[in-house]
Amino acid sequence: MTKKTIYLLTLAALAIMLLAACSANSTNSGGATFNGSYSPQNASSSGADPAGSAANESTHPAAQELTYATAKDINDINPHLYAGSIPATGMVFESLVENTKDGIKPLLAESWDISPDGKSYTFHLRKGVTFHDGAPFNAEAVKKNIEAVQANAAKHAWIKLSAKIAAIHALDEHTVQLDLTEAYYPALLELAMTRPYAFISPNDFKNGGTRDGVTGYNGTGPYRLVEHKTDQYAVFEANESYWGEAPHLSKITAKVLPAGETTLLALKKGEVNFIFTDDRGADSIDVQAMNQLAEDQNYQIVRSQAMNTKIIAANSSKSDSPVAEKAVREALWQSIDRETISMDIFSGTELPAESLFSSNVNYADIGLGKREYNPEAAIRLLEEAGWKSDSRSGIRSKNGRALSVKLYYDAASPSQKTQAEFIQSTAKTAGIGLELVGEESSSLAKRRATGDYELLFNQTWGLAYDPQSTISAFTAESSYLHTTKGIHQADELYGKINEVMVSKDEQSRQALYREILTIVHDEAVFIPLTNGIVTIIAPKDLKHISFKQTQYELPFEKMGFQ
Amino acid sequence: MKLLSIMRRDKWAAVCFTFLSAVIAAGIFAPWFAPHPPEEVHMELRFAGASWTYWLGNDHLGRCVLSRLIYGIRPSVLWVLAALSASVAIGAFAGFAAGYFRGKTDVLLMRLCDVMLSFPGYVMTLAVIGIMGPGLEHILIAFVLMKWAWFARIIRTSVLQYSNSDYVRFSKMLGLPGVSIMIRHLLPVTLPDILVVSSSSFGSMILQISGFSFLGLGIQAPNAEWGMMLNEARSVMFSKPELMLAPGIAIVLVVSAVNFLSDSFQRMLDPRLMSSRPIRLKQGFSISTRLKEREVA
Repeated sequence: MTKKTIYLLTLAALAIMLLAACSANSTNSGGATFNGSYSPQNASSSGADPAGSAANESTHPAAQELTYATAKDINDINPHLYAGSIPATGMVFESLVENTKDGIKPLLAESWDISPDGKSYTFHLRKGVTFHDGAPFNAEAVKKNIEAVQANAAKHAWIKLSAKIAAIHALDEHTVQLDLTEAYYPALLELAMTRPYAFISPNDFKNGGTRDGVTGYNGTGPYRLVEHKTDQYAVFEANESYWGEAPHLSKITAKVLPAGETTLLALKKGEVNFIFTDDRGADSIDVQAMNQLAEDQNYQIVRSQAMNTKIIAANSSKSDSPVAEKAVREALWQSIDRETISMDIFSGTELPAESLFSSNVNYADIGLGKREYNPEAAIRLLEEAGWKSDSRSGIRSKNGRALSVKLYYDAASPSQKTQAEFIQSTAKTAGIGLELVGEESSSLAKRRATGDYELLFNQTWGLAYDPQSTISAFTAESSYLHTTKGIHQADELYGKINEVMVSKDEQSRQALYREILTIVHDEAVFIPLTNGIVTIIAPKDLKHISFKQTQYELPFEKMGFQ
Repeated sequence: MKLLSIMRRDKWAAVCFTFLSAVIAAGIFAPWFAPHPPEEVHMELRFAGASWTYWLGNDHLGRCVLSRLIYGIRPSVLWVLAALSASVAIGAFAGFAAGYFRGKTDVLLMRLCDVMLSFPGYVMTLAVIGIMGPGLEHILIAFVLMKWAWFARIIRTSVLQYSNSDYVRFSKMLGLPGVSIMIRHLLPVTLPDILVVSSSSFGSMILQISGFSFLGLGIQAPNAEWGMMLNEARSVMFSKPELMLAPGIAIVLVVSAVNFLSDSFQRMLDPRLMSSRPIRLKQGFSISTRLKEREVA
């Protein structure tokens, strides 16, 4: 009898161990099947590979090395295309100007003049700048780069500037002139973006351009890419001949790890020592677990100010769906309890958002009406619109069609799933049935571009892009065209968007933005949830951690250990 | 009847059988057993520990874990049982046809089985999900589509052994139609074999469906499912590890009970213990055990 008991106990223990092992593995295999980019080598212990040894050293403060975890490989960081990881691209390549908290600042261009008609920009380039391969950064290089970008204009349709560049002339060694077809006020903002108007050494061009790929990644930035093993790691080293202040961190390694618990464990073990909200990096880790880590070990948590707005985009152009109807979108808006989402799901780290852009975004402080959490109001709206309640299923219907909508969320983001489930439960009290579908982020992007969705979790692009680029994206098929196309003033909206981009004076611009934002707010196609932030977990002795004006990049060159 | 005598002889099998029956009953009558509605959200009780009102505590939306566990029996156990029955039925149909009629029918069906069995089950299930999208029903469809061939194989072997026996030949001679011979004379003797193979794959199917739900490919929120509950607990596994216990233990217990029961069946129905059946049957069992091992791996 006792023998049997021991046997059973051993069996039970074994079963539990097996189950635990299975759960860790299945996360990986899920990634393998759907990303196609995951290689099993990642999972192997990293003792032998350079990234692993780098990680071990970098836990030592004197080493001035950082290893960050990234869910996806840095990929092809050609700055004129969009495949690469943005933080990695931002470390290696630079643009003419930089978008900062205080507006546009010089970067590779020391100063610039704008002609009175706003159609011609003359940039005076910084002298003595060289690419990582030693090639000089001069007017000729700028001309070649911009022409290479323009040769692939269709790819850059989301940036309106690409359609407005008429010509670029190298006036002398350090002066270039950019001619536009018409005055375009966000020109400098778009030139400041990480891509596509960033500069790569002309020696790296393939077939005289960059559209077919590049042969190397020599930019002018503070870091150069020295080693890249696809789906394993990428190593960046400080650029000794950097024109600006030399970066403190001598080496940065981007290590590919599945987001979530794997990353958290890697932090605990010191395999990586830095993570941030990139591809959900820090977003997919439980807030409490993060706090615990910071308490127990030598880590600090740094949070940025509000960067963007997390939204649910409603596909107004899907005419066979209930969300094509304004009343349904408004009712859904009013049946979301943002306070609870902010306090309970995000533990107060993200604040509730009441409109597409928060009031600290340029041109967005226009006092739009609040639609607060109010289930009764939602019910009233639906009743008025003719959606009758069905006491049996609890889901309203109209003309035999049930008020049941699909909400797509990122399956890799536990916080999105929790929010979706919470919204589902509150929407149900108003009689709206939400069907939750969790998918890969790339599949969500595809749905957004093809319009094959009803409701979709999304976010605005960050302070550097809001409002102008996000609003331009209302007209771009790959972004929010399907979201906005179905509202009845759509043509008027698109007309105003085109108008605001070429408007010359501040006053008319303000007026136009006000009208645009009022239309999308009234139509409730972008249902705001919270204001998203960037979260960093870093070693406690890492100083000068700051943020850029976008959630996609970090100023690594400013950080350093004491 | 035979079942009862097995139970009488093997106490451990009786315990497992009672446990499984109780689980199935709880699943069927979930609304009466569950103390709370499984989808009732109480954000203020997020991650609350066990209490008298909520015996197993609350999950990330403040829902009652115990109620979700009980409602989770439906997809995790009952629907798996349904899918299993469907694929055993198809497999039995094909197996009887192949084993009884032989000849071209046999060749055709068995080559079809070869084709089906040459694909790894997991990959095919993933392919079906890839085409039809995530969802419990799609996984169940994939199970039925993939597993019948295996049952057909085994049932055919079993039928072959009896279709040459004297009483079957005699029935044929009398001019009884094939269908009634199969139902009257072949089904009763092959039933034990069918019981053993289907019970042994029941456990692995429960594990698979929980695995797929764990990956987010199975049942969609807010419905409760054990694998999905494990996945939900995974994101807080370092701060609230206890949330993994309830669904984890439930899966372990049910799968163990199924496996112990199936082992008992196999032991009890072993030909060496049954005088009325020829020894060479053993071969059929060795095939089934081998396949079972592959299935679990």
